[in-house]
Amino acid sequence: MQIVTVCADTPEEIREGRGKHGLKARMLSDRDLAVTDAFGLRNQGIHSGPPGGAEALPVPTSLLIDGDGKVLWMDQSENYQRRSGPEVVLAALQKHLD
Amino acid sequence: MKTGTKKVGTTLGFLALAVAAVTVALWFRQIDQVDIPEDKTAYVSFFLLAAALGVGAFVAGTRWFGGVAAALAIIIGSFFPFTVAISRQEVAADAIRVGDAIPAFSALDENGELFESKTLAGKPALIKFFRGHW
Repeated sequence: MQIVTVCADTPEEIREGRGKHGLKARMLSDRDLAVTDAFGLRNQGIHSGPPGGAEALPVPTSLLIDGDGKVLWMDQSENYQRRSGPEVVLAALQKHLD
Repeated sequence: MKTGTKKVGTTLGFLALAVAAVTVALWFRQIDQVDIPEDKTAYVSFFLLAAALGVGAFVAGTRWFGGVAAALAIIIGSFFPFTVAISRQEVAADAIRVGDAIPAFSALDENGELFESKTLAGKPALIKFFRGHW
């Protein structure tokens, strides 16, 4: 299964940061928030983007999609200091893909 | 007697800064591990405790260096609970939901290569939106 991440960093910033996760994922740069907006995931709450960076940020969201691109499951954080942990995502994978 | 009270205040100032420093250190360690808990009551309590001890230092009367420590503790102790308070967020009403089909999209990946969502067709995939590495 393919894993794709989306954030508002530039490709260079993503390359520098990726060692933090050790993720085997395609990590996409969405500096202009085009992908974030296509999904409607731009944060509408109070907050700002990083200094000198994107004007806003996506709400941290995990989406599991099937082969037809339909959303089977999603997990969204109401708080940007929190993301779905690996155990939450793994449980969803097991439930929806077995 | 007056010197005695100042000693208490100065000690309180440093205690306040120590509580603030340890809490900040734990906070950043958990942030780095992407492991900040949903319920941040404990963090907020310790930050407010640091701020309260800082105020206590000034009330008791402190020497100047104790005052600097206390002031730092008050700033740190109130700033972090403030960031917790504004960290709630929401998506637009038309945001994607379970059952929806994802929109077609393309973007550059970390190597500057174009990724197109149509390459995901035919097998399940996990898409994660996150706030980036800053």
